[in-house]
Amino acid sequence: MLNIIPSLASTTAALDAESTRLEVISQNIANANTTRGPDGRPYQRQEVVFENALQQAKAANGAAPGLVAPQVASIQKDPRPGRSVYQPGHPDADANGMVQFPNVDIYEEMADMIVASRTYEANLAVLKNGRSMALQDLSIGKH
Amino acid sequence: MIEALFNQPSYLGAKRMLDALAVRHEALAANVANAETPHYKRIDLAPSFRAELQSALASRDAASLSTLQPRVSVDASALPLNRDGNTVNLEHELVELGQNTLQHTVETQMVSAALAKLRLAITGKAA
Amino acid sequence: MNAITSIRQLWSGTPLVPAGSAEETASASGSIPAAELRQLNAAQPGASVSGVQPPETSFAGLLGQMVEGVNAKQGIAAQALQDLQGGQTVSLHQAMIAAEEANVSFQLMVEVRNRLLDSYQELMRLQV
Repeated sequence: MLNIIPSLASTTAALDAESTRLEVISQNIANANTTRGPDGRPYQRQEVVFENALQQAKAANGAAPGLVAPQVASIQKDPRPGRSVYQPGHPDADANGMVQFPNVDIYEEMADMIVASRTYEANLAVLKNGRSMALQDLSIGKH
Repeated sequence: MIEALFNQPSYLGAKRMLDALAVRHEALAANVANAETPHYKRIDLAPSFRAELQSALASRDAASLSTLQPRVSVDASALPLNRDGNTVNLEHELVELGQNTLQHTVETQMVSAALAKLRLAITGKAA
Repeated sequence: MNAITSIRQLWSGTPLVPAGSAEETASASGSIPAAELRQLNAAQPGASVSGVQPPETSFAGLLGQMVEGVNAKQGIAAQALQDLQGGQTVSLHQAMIAAEEANVSFQLMVEVRNRLLDSYQELMRLQV
């Protein structure tokens, strides 16, 4: 494809990764109080694990060899235990009246969400800059 | 004879700067894209290349200007900001990116002005 | 008369020479085909066929160099645009600058051709 806007590949990879992360975060927040999921157990918090994918080294016109693009390696379940709350009247309470709630910490999720959206917007700014540079290039020598 | 038309140091310098700015944009974009990747170290134009470019521009030597190739290297002076060793400071990258784009505007204007001057000299008309 | 004769020699056999019969009969005795003229130039010291061109001493040689230079620029620009379309690693600004340089070189050649044509026609108008 035409590579008119520079750095398109790594920026779109980052946008994909960050939007996946935001989806996972919103799913965590939505299920923060789900004490019984389809498998009968409380919802387990999920988190996104990033990894690098080495891009193909570009030909020698000065472009950096091996530019790295982030990729979502996997969406893992957080193994930390959830909190137990004493609520004997709850339908999911066990014999001692304790209810297992999911291991989702709302504040942690909100902080992650802010970081993820900040990174997302930064990548959008990169894209905007690249696009304006390409438009300027197209007007070289125009009278 | 045709080559001599385009051999002025300022024009060659502007063209090389455009190459360097394009490469730097890619490097900064990769930094921003990997701001959350563990163990990622930020990259930028190699300091050796910067020195070469400065000396070539200062000496106004057409031969050295026309053979310059931009290079990127891992920024050794960047400090890790997170526990996972990531050295990208998002605000810093965005500021550098904006500066890069403005410099790109300046260089494209210089190139267009040089070409317009040549056209004026050749045809006697401004267009 | 020497100047007019030499310019006629220069232009004999090229498409810019008008098809009028008058000057052809007049210059038949002293005309040298353009091909032989180039050979003469090549025999001069300092002339080369390709690569970085040393300063040419004859007008025909200069024109030849200019045409080759313009051709080279057009080739570079065409290659750059083709690479851009094919997704090869040529930056957009490199392709645009190559295209503009080819344009400017071509304009130079066209202007030189116009001036030569004008001066030729001026000479033809001279009362001899």
